[in-house]
Amino acid sequence: MTENILEIENLRVKIGRKTILDDIGIQFEKNESVVIAGRNGSGKSTFLRCLANVIFPDRGSVVYNEGITKEKIGFISDQISLFENLTVEQGIRFHSSVFHVEDFDYTLINDLKFDLSQKIKNLSAGERTLYHLSLLLSQKPEILLIDEIIHTIDPYLREKFLEAVIELIDRCQTTVIMINHTFSEIEKIPERVLVMEKGQFILDEKCETLGEKIKSVVSEKETPEEIPYIFKRESSFQKEYFIYPFKEEFKKTFPYEYKELSLNDIIKAFVGGQYVKEGN
Amino acid sequence: MFRYNINFSSPVPIYQQIILAIKLEILSGRLKTGDQLPPIRELAKILKLNPNTVAKAYYNLEGEGFIESKRGSGNWVNYKNIKLDSLRKRMLEDEFRSFLESALSLGATKEDIKKLIEKDLSHD
Repeated sequence: MTENILEIENLRVKIGRKTILDDIGIQFEKNESVVIAGRNGSGKSTFLRCLANVIFPDRGSVVYNEGITKEKIGFISDQISLFENLTVEQGIRFHSSVFHVEDFDYTLINDLKFDLSQKIKNLSAGERTLYHLSLLLSQKPEILLIDEIIHTIDPYLREKFLEAVIELIDRCQTTVIMINHTFSEIEKIPERVLVMEKGQFILDEKCETLGEKIKSVVSEKETPEEIPYIFKRESSFQKEYFIYPFKEEFKKTFPYEYKELSLNDIIKAFVGGQYVKEGN
Repeated sequence: MFRYNINFSSPVPIYQQIILAIKLEILSGRLKTGDQLPPIRELAKILKLNPNTVAKAYYNLEGEGFIESKRGSGNWVNYKNIKLDSLRKRMLEDEFRSFLESALSLGATKEDIKKLIEKDLSHD
């Protein structure tokens, strides 16, 4: 029923002696929305760049479904040059001629109410992002890669941005993969969450069932070895363990109070930097 | 539209929250058979949700017999075959049970709870 759009095998990227991505294997389905969270330097952006074919891996492969050509892969990052000296209008015309777009949709551009004759380099960070997004939307992308950009946009433009992405997901069955540092109140789009740590995915779950898979336990002593946890938070008076993967039978054998967590709690726990991951 | 807010910091999956919100709208009489529900894309945009999440909620509501989906024309409220009274009773029982749990965990006695309920009910 669900069809994979993208398969990644044994992906490895090294920069100098440092391993950035360490043997990653993962699949993405058509029309799913995925968020990648993780600390700074964990390899998220490098991973996304590999998917965008901007950098090439040292080993392994990134294979898109047949028929997904380069113009069907949209990549938004704040580090992309957008022909800075063109005006917005020239940029749109140039883009349309290169990608054979006949019916460029000005809705988003018009919503922004900015002057079409100003140069791209003079746009604000949020305006640039929306300008770039509307270029990409005209190609009806099958996959949209969003690199940590949402937090740079002001709340008004952020709404417009998210609405455009929602429209795209519904209209074109696009797969969306986004990186986010701050999982703020507004980003409710992802259905699957990946957490990256030291070049590997240490968590890969559907958002819907995440609450059943991760629980937290507060304990004064160490939890027994049989209970796997991915990280713990320590303070002077208690230890909090994040149990993953959680199994119902733990409740019988180890009568702790297992607390349910929301997606927000979990992401915050990972990226907040206040948690210590233990190699247990 | 919805009076019920979707609570993203809740561990309850979002599609279940939408289902509950629509059921509450129906129970309270604000949504009646024949009313149209907002299109999936519109509701997704308003609440900033994934359209698939909204679609899943509608699909489940249709399966439970609360709404009817007509191809090309949208989703309509239709709960003719649902006994609203028994649904209301069931939801009330659930709410009451969770209230009771928190009350008991506060150390309240059965007498305390009874008194409180009688006092509050006699007030209006």
